Formats: sequence, structure tokens, C-alpha cells
Amino acid sequence: MKKILAWKLAVLVTALTMLAVTVSSAEDTGNDKCLSCHSNKDIIKKSGERLYLDPAMFAVTSHAAIGCSTCHDSVTANHPNDGFKPSKASCKECHSSVQSEYAASIHGGKAACNDCHNPHEVKSLVAVSGSDINEKCAKCHNLGKIVKSHDKWLPQADLHIDALPCVTCHTSSKNYVITMSIQKRQAGKTSYGDFKTANHEELAALNPINGDVSRLIDKNGDRLISLKELRDFNFEVRKKDMRLWGMMMPEVATHSFQILENRWDCSFCHASGPKAMQKSFMAFPDTSGGYTRVEVENGAILDILYGTPDFYMMGSTRSTALNIIGAMIIAGGMMMPIVHGSFRFLTRRNRKEH
Amino acid sequence: MKHTEYVYLTPMPVRIWHWLNAFGIVTLCVTGINIRFPDVLNIFGTYKAAIELHNTAGIVVSISYILWLFYYMFVAGTLAKLYIPTFNDIKSGIFRQAFFYFFKYFKGQPNPHHGTPDNKFNPMQKAAYLVIMLVLLPLVIFSGIILMYVAPLREIILIIGGIKTLVSAHYLIACCFCAFLFVHIYLATLGHTPLAYFKPMWDGWEEVEHADPHADPHSH
Repeated sequence: MKKILAWKLAVLVTALTMLAVTVSSAEDTGNDKCLSCHSNKDIIKKSGERLYLDPAMFAVTSHAAIGCSTCHDSVTANHPNDGFKPSKASCKECHSSVQSEYAASIHGGKAACNDCHNPHEVKSLVAVSGSDINEKCAKCHNLGKIVKSHDKWLPQADLHIDALPCVTCHTSSKNYVITMSIQKRQAGKTSYGDFKTANHEELAALNPINGDVSRLIDKNGDRLISLKELRDFNFEVRKKDMRLWGMMMPEVATHSFQILENRWDCSFCHASGPKAMQKSFMAFPDTSGGYTRVEVENGAILDILYGTPDFYMMGSTRSTALNIIGAMIIAGGMMMPIVHGSFRFLTRRNRKEH
Repeated sequence: MKHTEYVYLTPMPVRIWHWLNAFGIVTLCVTGINIRFPDVLNIFGTYKAAIELHNTAGIVVSISYILWLFYYMFVAGTLAKLYIPTFNDIKSGIFRQAFFYFFKYFKGQPNPHHGTPDNKFNPMQKAAYLVIMLVLLPLVIFSGIILMYVAPLREIILIIGGIKTLVSAHYLIACCFCAFLFVHIYLATLGHTPLAYFKPMWDGWEEVEHADPHADPHSH
């Protein structure tokens, strides 16, 4: 009896806690008041760009959920007329483990957290694209120099750097996932290098079903892109100066920036085998500047021609159907010595007689 | 009675090209298999070593192909004569040669074709080499070079239909070369002795046996 009572009490406490959380999240965190000025572009003219924040980008961050005043706790009721510059929390107050990992890394003394992460736009790893990550790195690291330094040991360094976010290798993430995105050739440009990840506005202009850009590919809206949907899309986009581009994203992002020993070995990626290539995702841009991942049916990356026409990774994305055709061609060549050779052996006497 | 005649069938530049090409194509086939199946096969220690060897062999074969084409077109001037089948070759020569290989040979009857420096290939060889040397080899070289410089040549890849189309074509043509190796080496053993056709490709001279019309038929 006592046990049942304890269970009931536990359920009640849990329900009340959840209710409290729901109510508190529904409550005004005070953000609207702050955003009325800070999301107005007039503030840029008055006080500089650093005081402006994009409301759509901010709204989806975890920082928006905890409210402006959690970090800027010294804001007074008379702000901004109190002549007092509000304080801001340091990242380590909440992210102490990340901060200590980062401090010990090669980047520790070179760049502060907000040199890479704008706290008002910060997103989780699955919500950023590989090229967005590389743009952060390129703030300090010159792309040309990066290619040159990698070229000393890495074949086709330019291609690798185009297909990988730096952190796929410069991290302690033990694995990677393939994330595809839609790229669009920049207006007026004809060079292939001018393909850029399409933003939400560009994709929305293609009139997707219900205005949902993921429905450009996921036609039936089941949140799983089938091989057929992918092939259909690839046929369509060829005429629209667009392409699918795949990048190998790390499974987890760490801040140690170490290079694991296996990253020097090409076989880490190239010998991972078709099994590792079964799973992939498609990242669709949203209005906040982030991305929403949708799972793709197994085997898309391995599909001979139309799964991902422009993404191929030697060794790992080989097609089984093509392997069989190739083996049949070679076997056909071997038939000549085997079959003809057998008859030749059986009829050897005829030639001796002549 | 038979007497043996020696014909200088294969000039030195062609022989050098042939063995360079042979070595290069075998290297390309082996490294190619390693590159495509690295999770099941690792012959060269590292994947990078297999790629670098493959690229090097590819460049060697490409340069040797250009030299071959230049030699036959401009130095010897016999490219068309040796490699392009004549109307008669297509009309009857190919079938006559195929009939020999798949029927008459087993009955011990003689080869209808006798190689001369000006006409060293039989009609079947002509047709096969025409496809191999003037279609497949240029295609595999072209696709291979693009695959060595994917980022700068991306625009061409896009016109072709994407990197997967290119890789698939490169792979399938490579399989054709691998199949050709088996057929080629085997057919080379069909001379009057198993090594008779290997000899001219090594020292240039082919031994041709002729029945001597002046010999006394009762002398043997």
C-alpha cells in the first residue's frame, strides 16, 4: 500500500514539475521588450551593428529560451537611459566543461568563444551546414594557405576541403555522417566553384508544397526521403543550375581540435565500406539561417547514377550493381582462355597431325 | 619440307611502347582493384600509395599513348593501314578469321592471315585494336585525367553528367581492359609454338614457316 502511495506521489510531483516548466516557458522571458529595440535595424545606425540581433535567428537558439536577462542580469528598468553598460555572462558560467576543453586546445589562447559562436545565433551541430562551419574557420585561416598546406600530403586537397568541414578531421569525433544539401549556382556566374548552399529564400522561390522547402524532395511529406524522390529531384534540378552536394559531418563536435591519428590514414574514410555509406541525411535551410535534417532512405549515396550524381567517395560509395557488371566483363574475358583453351587441349592431336 | 623465314615485324619504338603499356595497364588494373575495394584488399600498404601508383601508371600510359599515336601517324604513317579494317575485312575477313579461331584451328588447319610489316594484324585484330586503341584507351585516359583533378575540372564533370557517371565509365572501361588482357595473352599463345608470337614483340623478328616448293617431296 505504502509503495502505491509513493508511486502516486512521484507521478504527481513529476506532473507538477512539467506543468511548472511549461508555464515558465510560456511566460514572457522579457525577450520581447529587449527585442523591440535590439531587433530593429535602426539600432545599427545609432549604436553599431554589435547591438543588433536577428530575431528569427535568435528565436531558435537555446539562449532565447533562457531569456536575455539570464546573461545580461544587470540591465535596469531605465535601460538604456541609465548610462550604465549592462554586463554579460561569460560562456564558462554555463559551458564550463567545453570551456576547459577549449582552453587546453591549440585554439585556446587565439580566439574567444564568440569569435566563432555568436551567442545570439548559435545552433546545434545538426542545424549548421559544413560550409557554415568552414566559414568560421576561414575568418582566421586563409583558404588558399589551407589548401597549400594540406596539398603536401593530401591528394586533391582542394576537393577534400570542399567536401569536408574542417572539424571532421580536427576534432575527436570518432565517426562521421553524410549530410547532403542543395547548392545553387550563383546568379550570373558560370564557374562550378560558384555553387553555394541554397538558402531558404532561394528554395522557397521554387514553390514547394505547403511552402515547406523539404517538400521539394520529400514530396509525400513523410519525413523520409526515398530513393525515388531523390532521383526525381536530381532530374529536375539539373535544369535549374542546382545540385546536391554531400559533406561528411562529424558525429559529435568537440572543442579539443586534436587530429586523431587515423585521420592521416586515407582508409579511415575511403575504406569504411559501403555499409557505412548506407545512412545519409538531407539538410534543408530554415528561416532562422539554420538547417533541419531529414533522413534519406538507406543506400542513396551508393545509387549508381541518380542518387547523388555529384557526390562520390572512392572506395566507399561504390555501387554493387556496377561491381557485378564489371565482374561479368572480366569473366567474359576469362572465358576465352578457359573455353577455347579446353577445346585446344582436347584437339591438340589434330594440329600435330598437320 | 618447311623452311623458316624471319620477318622484321615489330620496330623497336613499338616494342618499347608495348611493354611500357603492358606494365602500366597491369599496374593500373591491380591498383584500380585496390582503390575500388580498399576494405577487402590492401596490397600496397596504404590507400594513398595505391592511388599515387595508379596516378603515376596512368600518366605513363597516357604519355606512351600519345607517343604511340604520334609514331604511327607521323613517323611510320601506317596508322590507317594497320588499324582501320578494309571493306573486305568487314565483309568477309572478320568472319573468316573468327571461323579459323573457333573451328579450323581445332581441326589443325592453317591461319588464313600471315602478318607482314604492312599488314601485321588479322581483320579481327584490326577491329579489336581499333576499338581499344582509338576509342576505349582515349576514353579511359580522358576520364582518368579528370578524376585526378576533380575540383578544377568540375565544370566538365557537370557537363558529362556528374562524377558518378564519370567514375562508372572509367571503371567499366577499365574492366574491358582487364578482360582484354586475358584474351590478348591467350591469343598470343596460338602461334605455331606457344611463344611464337611473344618473340617478335621482344626482339622484333617473327619466324614464319613456309612449305618449300622446291624441296623433294620424298626427301622426308
